[in-house]
Amino acid sequence: MKEVKPTVFVVDDDAAVRDSLRMLLKSVGLPVEVFESGQEFLDANRDDRPGCLVLDIRMPGMSGLELQVKLNERHSILPIIFITGHGDVPMAVEAMQAGAVDFIQKPFRDQDLLDRINQALDKDAGSRRMLAERNMIRKRLESLTPREREVLDLVVAGEANKVIAGDLNLSQRTVEIHRARVMEKMEAHSLAHLVRMVLEVERPEA
Amino acid sequence: MKQRRPLETARRAGAHHARSRGEKDFRALLDAAVDAIVVIDDKGILEEFSLAAQRMFGYTAEEVIGRSVNILMAEPYRSRHDGYLTRYAATGEKRIIGIGREVTGQRKDGSVFPCEIAVGQVAGVEPPRFVGFIRDITRRKEDEERLRRSEAELRLAQQLANLGNYVLHFRGGEQDHFSPQLYSILGIPPTDAMISREEYLAHWVHPSDRARVLQAFESLDAGEAPLDIEYRVVLRDGRVRHLHHITQAVSDGSGTVLKHVGTLHDVTDRRHAEDEARQLQDRLTHFSRLSTMGEMAAGLAHEINQPLSAIATYAQASQRLLRQPQPDTAEVVAALEQINAQALRAGEVIRRLRNFVKNREVRREAVDCSRLLDDLRTLAETDARLHNIRLRIDAEEGLPTVYADPIQLQQVILNLVRNAIDAMADVSEERREVVLSTRRIGAHEVEVTVADQGSGLAPEATEHLFNPFFTTKAGGTGLGLAISRSIVRAHGGRLWHTPNADFGARFHFTLPASPATTGE
Repeated sequence: MKEVKPTVFVVDDDAAVRDSLRMLLKSVGLPVEVFESGQEFLDANRDDRPGCLVLDIRMPGMSGLELQVKLNERHSILPIIFITGHGDVPMAVEAMQAGAVDFIQKPFRDQDLLDRINQALDKDAGSRRMLAERNMIRKRLESLTPREREVLDLVVAGEANKVIAGDLNLSQRTVEIHRARVMEKMEAHSLAHLVRMVLEVERPEA
Repeated sequence: MKQRRPLETARRAGAHHARSRGEKDFRALLDAAVDAIVVIDDKGILEEFSLAAQRMFGYTAEEVIGRSVNILMAEPYRSRHDGYLTRYAATGEKRIIGIGREVTGQRKDGSVFPCEIAVGQVAGVEPPRFVGFIRDITRRKEDEERLRRSEAELRLAQQLANLGNYVLHFRGGEQDHFSPQLYSILGIPPTDAMISREEYLAHWVHPSDRARVLQAFESLDAGEAPLDIEYRVVLRDGRVRHLHHITQAVSDGSGTVLKHVGTLHDVTDRRHAEDEARQLQDRLTHFSRLSTMGEMAAGLAHEINQPLSAIATYAQASQRLLRQPQPDTAEVVAALEQINAQALRAGEVIRRLRNFVKNREVRREAVDCSRLLDDLRTLAETDARLHNIRLRIDAEEGLPTVYADPIQLQQVILNLVRNAIDAMADVSEERREVVLSTRRIGAHEVEVTVADQGSGLAPEATEHLFNPFFTTKAGGTGLGLAISRSIVRAHGGRLWHTPNADFGARFHFTLPASPATTGE
């Protein structure tokens, strides 16, 4: 699998603000792509890429808040840092409630912005790692036979082999063989590891 | 017929041979005369009463001869007449004889009339006898009265209007005329001589207006145009008056100027009132601009914050670039150029803002519409951006210039744009666009339209839309549209509104194109 480098996406209608951000991010070696409107960003389909979004809260036409709503509708997990002006606190609060990671008031110190961007990138990387792991666990689960899945569910429920054998009307020996296959297919180091993996994907999503 | 006393008179006078001839002549003379003729003796008893006298007084000769002349007189002359005769007999003092005077006559029917009477004493007879020539001057009196009254009325009218008139003659030696009010306007005592035109132009006309006035007089003298001009004069006591001066040259058939007929109207008071009203209007207009700017403060702060923010970021990026082992200097140079440009941009916002709120003389000039829109764009976009609204400017190419005060025009447009923005506070994103367009109408007008896609105008609101202090906005002054309309009217244009095609409203105003640009 090819590793895609995380990118900082900047959406700001002001050409100078946009260009100066591009230069700053480039100077610290961060890949950056700039867009002059929310629509342009949506059309570019970048919202499933690793990285973060630096977004001006006020723009003619689609505002930053409206872009955030649209991204949420698309189930994008891209962390958003809002750039706000003076007196935009109520809007910033609204943005945070809708899931933004942070906001920064302009003009800002470069380090403050870079720190926020790094945090957002870390968060994005974490989310993506977690998503990848869940996908992997799901794939492993899918490789189990129906019988193995039944055994797994009872193991995770904390039942002893003898009880499982009774429940499934199997010999204790057969249960042991299934259980070993489950541990192997799930690549579990221990019973605790197995339980954690199953809970990770079965847990309802936040 | 009664006895003929004139015959006796003639006899007594001793002109015997002429007696019958003289009598005939006298009678013919008496009856042919237009004036009434009467003869009385020293007691005032009537002896002769001519045909004209009979017509004038309504008596026949038979009715009056032998009676006192008093019956032909109205009071107070009637009572005094005997006294006059007695005094004359005693002292020889003449009250009327040889002089003639105006008295009041009384007809048989009792009605009275003005008459002029001349009395002569018949020479060489004793006791003395007198001939009276009486002329009915009713018509003349009426004419005199009419003339007197119309002169008085003219004088009063000139006083009330503070308007004087004059006539200057150039041919035929007729006397120049200057009305009393003309003296009064110019502060010259009526007994003094009127100043000459040369002196007036050189020393009385306000120096700042002189060139203009001289030019107007030149074209009057050249027969190009009547004079019709307003200017100031400085009176001898230093007072400054505003005069409206109109003069027409009157020529004979061959084009030779015979005279100038002119009026001077003192319009100082009106001028002052106008100035005061204009100053009030200007102050209100300025106040309205200030309050607009107050409402736009947040957007303006944002607008200035943008370049400042870009400058800070460029500077910080440059520092980072320069700290690198092999700095990309081209990138740093580009950043420095941008820093410069953004600093100028911030300065420009402040300059436009200052221009907009400055309390300044209203000054009209030829305004290029596209320049105007460029100047306006920053301020208008400020507000639009703050409300996440797009501002589309759609200007027709090659518009004529308009003769206007550019700041007041910006004020009108900005006001309409802000109203449009406010009208779209609650509408969905696709509709949030204000279109500002300009186009030419015919050869002599430019139309500016501001269209929104907001909630439109409620019918009950349209009625009061242009009333001062009418507002549908919390915190609005309600002056915006009222002032906008008065600004547009003062520029000779109209301001009105129509519903927009789907949603919202369109506000239009027109401005006359500058004369220089309409002739293509």
